Amino acid sequence: MALPVSTGANPAAPVRPVSARHFVRLKLRVMGNNFRGQGWRIALFIGGALLGLWFAASGFFLFAAPGLADDGRYAVLVAAAGGGLLVLGWLLLPLVFFGVDETLDPARFALLPLPRRTLVTGLFVAALVSVPVLAVLIATLGLVLTAWSLGGWSAGLVAVVGVLAGLLLCVAASRAVTSAFATMLRSRRVRDLAAVLLAVTAALIGPLQVFGLAALRQADWNRLAGAATVIGWTPFGAPWTAGIDVAQGRVWAAPVKLLITVMALGALLAWWSRSLESAMVGATSGGKAPARRGATGGAVAQLFPRVAGWAGRDRFGALVAREARYWWRDARRRANLITIAVVGIFVPVFINVTGGDFAAMESGGLTAAAGDSSPVVVTISMVLVGVLAAATLANQFGFDGSAYAANVVAGVPGRVELRARMTAFSLYVLPMLAFVAVVLSVLLGRPGWIGLTFGGLVATYGAGLAVNSLVSVLGAYSLPETSNPFAMNSGAGLTKGLLTLLTMIASAVAAVPMVVAAALLGDAWLWLALPVGAAYGLGAALLGAYLAGDVLDRRQPELLATVTPRR
Amino acid sequence: MTVEHPALALRGLAKRFDGTIAVAGVDLDVPAGSFYGLLGPNGAGKTTTLSMAVGLLRPDAGAAWVLGHDVWQDPITAKRLLGVMPDGVRLFDRLTGAELLAYNGLLRGMDPAVVDQRAAELLDVLALGDAGRTLVVDYSAGMKKKIGLACALLHGPRVLVLDEPFEAVDPVSAALIRDILTRYAAGGGTVVFSSHVMEVVERLCSHVAILAGGTIKRVGTIDEVRGDRSLEQVFVEVVGGRTATGEELSWLSQ
Repeated sequence: MALPVSTGANPAAPVRPVSARHFVRLKLRVMGNNFRGQGWRIALFIGGALLGLWFAASGFFLFAAPGLADDGRYAVLVAAAGGGLLVLGWLLLPLVFFGVDETLDPARFALLPLPRRTLVTGLFVAALVSVPVLAVLIATLGLVLTAWSLGGWSAGLVAVVGVLAGLLLCVAASRAVTSAFATMLRSRRVRDLAAVLLAVTAALIGPLQVFGLAALRQADWNRLAGAATVIGWTPFGAPWTAGIDVAQGRVWAAPVKLLITVMALGALLAWWSRSLESAMVGATSGGKAPARRGATGGAVAQLFPRVAGWAGRDRFGALVAREARYWWRDARRRANLITIAVVGIFVPVFINVTGGDFAAMESGGLTAAAGDSSPVVVTISMVLVGVLAAATLANQFGFDGSAYAANVVAGVPGRVELRARMTAFSLYVLPMLAFVAVVLSVLLGRPGWIGLTFGGLVATYGAGLAVNSLVSVLGAYSLPETSNPFAMNSGAGLTKGLLTLLTMIASAVAAVPMVVAAALLGDAWLWLALPVGAAYGLGAALLGAYLAGDVLDRRQPELLATVTPRR
Repeated sequence: MTVEHPALALRGLAKRFDGTIAVAGVDLDVPAGSFYGLLGPNGAGKTTTLSMAVGLLRPDAGAAWVLGHDVWQDPITAKRLLGVMPDGVRLFDRLTGAELLAYNGLLRGMDPAVVDQRAAELLDVLALGDAGRTLVVDYSAGMKKKIGLACALLHGPRVLVLDEPFEAVDPVSAALIRDILTRYAAGGGTVVFSSHVMEVVERLCSHVAILAGGTIKRVGTIDEVRGDRSLEQVFVEVVGGRTATGEELSWLSQ
């Protein structure tokens, strides 16, 4: 799709058209140059690719199952539900967990005389060149197999077209949504609104899971098939079910569904192209900062926010105050805080409430659902939340980027640095965890369990802080200096994923004593959990800061070098 | 008391990045009380050298001393004597100017009352007081340089190391920065700064070193280095620049 480029001033000069091919080659070149001389990056990339292939293979067999079993009954169900989940995943996961690969930052193209259409097409095609896209392609080829074995080559062919269109839809959706949110988060005027929207979007994941599980639990396959048919007529399911429709004799449905897909794709691309413009003109758009209140008091008094007002006016206090300000003022950090808040509430509710009798929930309200939730299950769900919350700090120095140089120049001792960072983060997270504990206990109808839930949370969170402070010193990586809080460097998404996984496993292991205690000690634990958990968490965090601080003292300059974005 | 020690001494500093040699053994003695200019074309290794000298980048070989204190063996003492303004490094720019100064002051272990008083004075002198509650990220390039300088000066360092303090700064701000640096040097402080602006170096510096291709090409007092020619002539000759013949780039004329 080559479009001629107009030169304006000198139309006589021959101009070679810029096509998507150039963008793809540029992306591959940038990726290749990022690997140069960095053995561990190549290793990580290969590791990620293998992981992707493994998921792709399991997905393939899942999608191909109806075809392999030669059983057409559940073909639409698998295609619509599985495909719908894929689209939804592409839509939400970049916002909440992974970020988007911004190897080609749109802002870099702002000065080139490219028509917006060329730019959007190019960036879009370049975005298709990635491991996740390949993995999804392999997985969804299972649908082609199903369609082909059920309906012969014509159905298979339609399925191929459908799958390809669906893949385009996935990528377009993720780009459009992240770009739109990034634009909103960048603009100061609507930033807070965007934060709320993001939270609501992320919160959707919870109820959807609950809904899905409820549906599975009821095992009314006919009703599910009915729902799948409906989903099949939305953009979420349309591309994936077109081939199956042909196989099952509804040939007329295929072109309609493909048309639905193409229209959705067009709408998403148009949306993306609009927000892309603001991404290109950069961070200055979106109006002036809201007028801040006039300076009151001296410089030191201004530095300390109210939440950190108790801290001493010394080195530790200054670090806490600056971190506390940053968790709120830095869009990237704030997005992380919101994620913890949302996930922190929904994961335990999901595990504990849906673990109960779902029919009871439908008829008798949430409180009746606590039937078979035990202290062990509750503690395990608390471990999950605590681990997730602490994992945010796995790349805490990456948030700072080269600004960390100020601390290196000042020669801040590593232990003070890490303790202060933990404290500032906890100023936000501990109240959140307390809220989770209270809400969960009330939802379960067992207010007496507040100690149990909060104790488990604090213990895991403390252990997680310890593990993550060590990881943040040893496994830091740079984040791109763009205004898109969801942007990741190419390859960094994988580093992030692996590191997060690693730290979460390590923190969970560190919290095992809490689960064991919950299992062994019975009712006495309900009372002991809070003091023991608090002591355990605090001790673990302090020990972590002590050990990791020593490492930090020895490798401050190296850490600075790894978190400084390469320009 | 530290007369016998140079303000900044570098011995054999070397750094290699991914196989390319950025700095190939730099020796330098900056006498206490001098105003020292480190000259060099882009990519000469000025930033790398200064980063290694102040403890931001670990050298592959060599050592650096600040008033006799080894930067890499005894960093705490050395860093206490140093005020640094790195180039191409972000500040904690989600703070306001006053907040940033307070942060840096407390980080240096200063008394809060002293921080308040000096911060107010610095903001006033550098004409940053009007910015009020504007975040540093929204400052203009010149304002960012000025607040960076204020952060480096706040704790009253004995040695000031500035990387490109006059880059992207308008003439008014540049004059202000020049004025403050001159006063600082007159008060017994030592200033080391990198630049490729000849006029500024010629006007301010007592000593210069010309760095090119990762090694020191010329070093000495400014009169020794330039002799009877202009500094620019010496610089271009040392660095080996080329002059346009008029043949190439003919398509530039319409």
